[in-house]
Amino acid sequence: MSIPGLGEIAPQPSPSTTRTITLRPFWEWRFQVPRSSSGPGVSVRLLSGTAERDGTELALNHNYTFARTKSKILTYTGCSLEVSGEVEDYVAQCAAPEDTPMLSYLNLHFTLQTQRRSSSGGRGRGPRVMICGPHNTGKTTLARTLAALATRMGEQPLVANVDPREGLLSLPGTVSAAVFGTIMDVEEPTGGFGVSSTPCSGPSLVPVKLPMVYYYGREKVEEDMPLWKDLVTKLASSVRAKLSSDDAVRSGGLVLDTPAVTAVKGEVEILLHAVREFAVNIVVVLGSAGLNASLQTILENEKTTYGEPITVVLLDKSDGVAERDRDFMKFLREAAIKEYFFGDSKRTLSPFTQSVGFDDVVIFKAPDEPDLYNSHQTLESAEITAEMSHWTLAVMNASVNDPPETIQQAPVLGFVAVADVDEDRRRLKILSPVSGRLGNRPLVWGRWPEPYINLLG
Amino acid sequence: MADNAADVAEDYRQALEDLTVNSRIEIATLTNIARENANHGLEIAEVLQNHIKKVPPSRTLPALYVLDSVVKNVPTPYALYFGPKLYSIFMGAYTKVDNATRRKMDEMLKTWKEPVPGSISTKPVFPIEQVRPIENALMAARNAAFAAHQSSFQGQQQLLRGRAPVPSRDTPTPPTARPYQPPLQGQPPFPGPNGQYPDAVPQQQPYAIRPANGPGVIPHRATPQPVGSLPPYQAPAARDVYGTPQPGISVDKLKDNIQQLIVAVKAEFAQDPLDTSKQTRLKALLDLQTIIQSQEMPQDQLMIVRDQIAEIAVNMRSQPQPRPAVTAAPGVAAATAPHPAHAGIPYTTTPTPPVVSQQPTPVPPAAFAAVAAALGRPPSAAAAPPPAAGGGGVSIDSLFGKGALATLIAGAARKSATPQQIPTPTPPPAVPQPAPAVVPLRSPPPQRLVEPAQPAGVPSTNPSALLAMLRQSGLIGPSATEPSASAVPGLSPAARFPPAGTAHLPDTSLQLKPSSLKIFRPQLIAQLHEDLGPPCTQCGRRFKTDDEGRRKKTAHMDWHFRVHQRITEAEKRGQHRSWYVDELDWIRSREAIDTDYVAPQDLSFSSPDFPLDGISGTAGSSAAAAAAGGRGTSSSPSGKSQQSQQPYLAVPEDSSRVNNTCPICQEKFEMKWLDEAQEWVWTDAVKVGDRVYHGSCHREAAGSMQHRPTPERVLGKRKAEDDAGGQRGKLKVEGY
Ligand SMILES: [Zn+2]
Ligand SMILES: [Zn+2]
Repeated sequence: MSIPGLGEIAPQPSPSTTRTITLRPFWEWRFQVPRSSSGPGVSVRLLSGTAERDGTELALNHNYTFARTKSKILTYTGCSLEVSGEVEDYVAQCAAPEDTPMLSYLNLHFTLQTQRRSSSGGRGRGPRVMICGPHNTGKTTLARTLAALATRMGEQPLVANVDPREGLLSLPGTVSAAVFGTIMDVEEPTGGFGVSSTPCSGPSLVPVKLPMVYYYGREKVEEDMPLWKDLVTKLASSVRAKLSSDDAVRSGGLVLDTPAVTAVKGEVEILLHAVREFAVNIVVVLGSAGLNASLQTILENEKTTYGEPITVVLLDKSDGVAERDRDFMKFLREAAIKEYFFGDSKRTLSPFTQSVGFDDVVIFKAPDEPDLYNSHQTLESAEITAEMSHWTLAVMNASVNDPPETIQQAPVLGFVAVADVDEDRRRLKILSPVSGRLGNRPLVWGRWPEPYINLLG
Repeated sequence: MADNAADVAEDYRQALEDLTVNSRIEIATLTNIARENANHGLEIAEVLQNHIKKVPPSRTLPALYVLDSVVKNVPTPYALYFGPKLYSIFMGAYTKVDNATRRKMDEMLKTWKEPVPGSISTKPVFPIEQVRPIENALMAARNAAFAAHQSSFQGQQQLLRGRAPVPSRDTPTPPTARPYQPPLQGQPPFPGPNGQYPDAVPQQQPYAIRPANGPGVIPHRATPQPVGSLPPYQAPAARDVYGTPQPGISVDKLKDNIQQLIVAVKAEFAQDPLDTSKQTRLKALLDLQTIIQSQEMPQDQLMIVRDQIAEIAVNMRSQPQPRPAVTAAPGVAAATAPHPAHAGIPYTTTPTPPVVSQQPTPVPPAAFAAVAAALGRPPSAAAAPPPAAGGGGVSIDSLFGKGALATLIAGAARKSATPQQIPTPTPPPAVPQPAPAVVPLRSPPPQRLVEPAQPAGVPSTNPSALLAMLRQSGLIGPSATEPSASAVPGLSPAARFPPAGTAHLPDTSLQLKPSSLKIFRPQLIAQLHEDLGPPCTQCGRRFKTDDEGRRKKTAHMDWHFRVHQRITEAEKRGQHRSWYVDELDWIRSREAIDTDYVAPQDLSFSSPDFPLDGISGTAGSSAAAAAAGGRGTSSSPSGKSQQSQQPYLAVPEDSSRVNNTCPICQEKFEMKWLDEAQEWVWTDAVKVGDRVYHGSCHREAAGSMQHRPTPERVLGKRKAEDDAGGQRGKLKVEGY
């Protein structure tokens, strides 16, 4: 609220840690909540103007709390923020909008928006945009921003992620996709892409997103390229089916997030597979002229399955991309697993613990000895040992009697964690999000992410 | 003495009319009248409230002092009566007065958080829940104003300095502990803050020991004359500025507020559908909404509407809040008594002790409810002036009685935590007003630069709207959103905003090339902001103000409300992550935007757990999950409260848009109140695509292809066994 003339009353001295930060247009407030922080995180309130996190607007005078987050608040119009709590931060200024890549991203959105609207009267095919580039160029953030800006304008874009290193609405080690027709959870560490934004048995203050998930079980694409390609093909076919059956989603188009690659030939191959499977017609390359050149050369002669030309465009990466070292990534992964079962600060979940005999569950794993002569490795039955303790296993939407290839490419129902293995009594203690017997669902034991020791601790 | 309520009210009204300056005598007299007529306290409180609302700014402070004095001296019943309306009264007054007065009000507000000095009661004058929203709102406003004005020109500061200080030294009412003092000659102005006036006459007969209803104690017509020697409270310079009503009420904000109230009242109505008064109220609100949306209302009428809305909102907010526990230890009272020298005057000669006996501590919420209900009767004609003629002739007071909504919604309590989210009675005026303040001016309002071009009603808290307005007016330059135009030389993005006319044209030059993407097109910014309509106060999502936008907004606010309502219940019950879904279910699912998402039947088939209440509403599947939870060795709580085996569907908000008969059997859906879901539902109903069916009819029609899931089948057998493998292989979907 505003009261005339109140500016003439000196503001009362604020509590020690509370600050007001004033941003001019296209400035960013970049912050990082220390992992060591014992408090609830940093509290941010938009006092005036407009501001957003990765494309999603903050509500005026609403307290947002960010825990274990590295992110930024951007304003297009200027704003002032009230900030309190433990945080490392600075204001990224720019002399003019032209000086920040945020302007290009914003204009990219409007270009896509033009395609969505002209494509259609709402019924046509919206743009399918792939975001790619090397490590730490802000690919996921740009994907999230483009999706959020589209949602904000009433679109229902699909977002797909084929980078197993980070799960989209899922645990790491998966590829997935979901429609984003509702506002994202800006308070969530990954800005609405995290597992916390998936359906639960109760109501959600921020609307949940329903993902389609496939299980890869490894960190890097190179580790099992054939499987990754198969799963991308599976995901892409689900996505195409979704686009074909839902007008609103079709016109909204697709935003595709990809694994980090460089211009090395073998890695470009990864991207080309995704371009073709998802019928991508716009490729955004972040911060790598080399990668841009490679893709230009290859794709300038290609067309999508609908005969559209494929545009490749190189944009600067933001200098504010949060560098995330291995430790931080591991921290995020473990947090995601914990959140999957137990919820976050906004919502406590109560997973189910059950004790089952070794013979009551069927667990598969990738073969220990890779068969170098057979490009497609399938799953084999896993012997249950204490080694399995603390791993999360994928619950597959398949039958234990299905062929291993079918199980491997089946949709993921969810995850369970092996809390304890009692080899003597041949019993497993399993933590499961949903109650009920697991016996007839095959479980898959991946190679990654590593076990999370403290899940029940 | 007048013995009926209307006479008392009229007398009091007239007495207040005569209160033009800050006269201690007059205030004491008015306090005594209020005390003597405590049995008509409701009427008096209402008259005083209305007086504060309507009185010109120059006379607002004395009126507030009357309130202050009355609640401190006669806390029962007056503190109870004024408490729930405190926010509305205080903020309404704060908005219209000048800064000198505001400082007095700040001081007064502080004293309300403390016990009356010298009182044996350790309770604050008003419960902290009633004071804190005011403090929060003031703080927020100050911060916003400060941030916005932080860095405007220093020169302005000079301009405003050097104005004569406001002569008045007035401060809030003295403590109740003071005995009433008959008029003395050359009365000083009403004295300093609690307990600070030095001229007490200990031997004076304490007023309070007079019988409360004693005969002929107070001449009711004792309309005190202004004491000639007293300087008028208001500095003449300020009178000109503040004598006129405050400009600019944001219709949008009003609409927003009304919308929120409608949502709230709807929920209340749903809980008690037999209560016709709630129905009437809801209708009144809806009518009001129609009127305000369909016609231009004059400002004065808007102001009435605004005040009313604010009051209702305040009532709703204060209602569910429990009274605070006693805030200080018993010994504290003595310690805080400012005048030990006067200890000889026992406080028991003041009205406080009877108060204590009548008013248990803390006051149970029910007492508030009772008071609020009592206040809910229609106001007298004198108290509620009808709005100006025309405009549909709606008298807001006739639509809903004052405070009548006070018993509304428990759910509103949640919102109350953040006062900024509730409708506030003070739409921000466009033009910051120069004030005769002596406070050092950090920052004169920068809007002054463009003042002549500004139409009323542009909220200064909405910089983008302001920008748009600036653009339209062609006056482009440093604006309120850019607090430090001079701080960084050479940067003034707003200065690049093109003149009006080009603002909303599509930019055809936008191309998918790095060079084109690097060009700043300021006109696009609005497309992500004000062009999308005003944002939801809770989540920031924007909604247009056209018909469709309003419809969406309604659904959206309802959704917020429902979630808030259910979340507590869900927390009690225990929640868990749901399974993801199969390909077909995912492909068939549709984004549930601000509607109760109901998964297609087969969604619950493979994943019984997904469409639970809150996300969707299928009691059947919840029950399935609950049943499943009961087997095996699972050890966590599950949906025990789910009893119904039938699927249900929340009755759509706008049921005219949805078929209300089952397309298969042509029978109407049965509506009932489902306690566990806390809402009206259609029983045995499922939504498939855009249509609603009886769950049973749909299952039958779907035939053997789709079976109702049982827990056994869901987690035991595999779906493909029923589907004959049809959906399991690769999806073959042609094109798209
Ligand atoms: Zn909202
Ligand atoms: Zn039927």
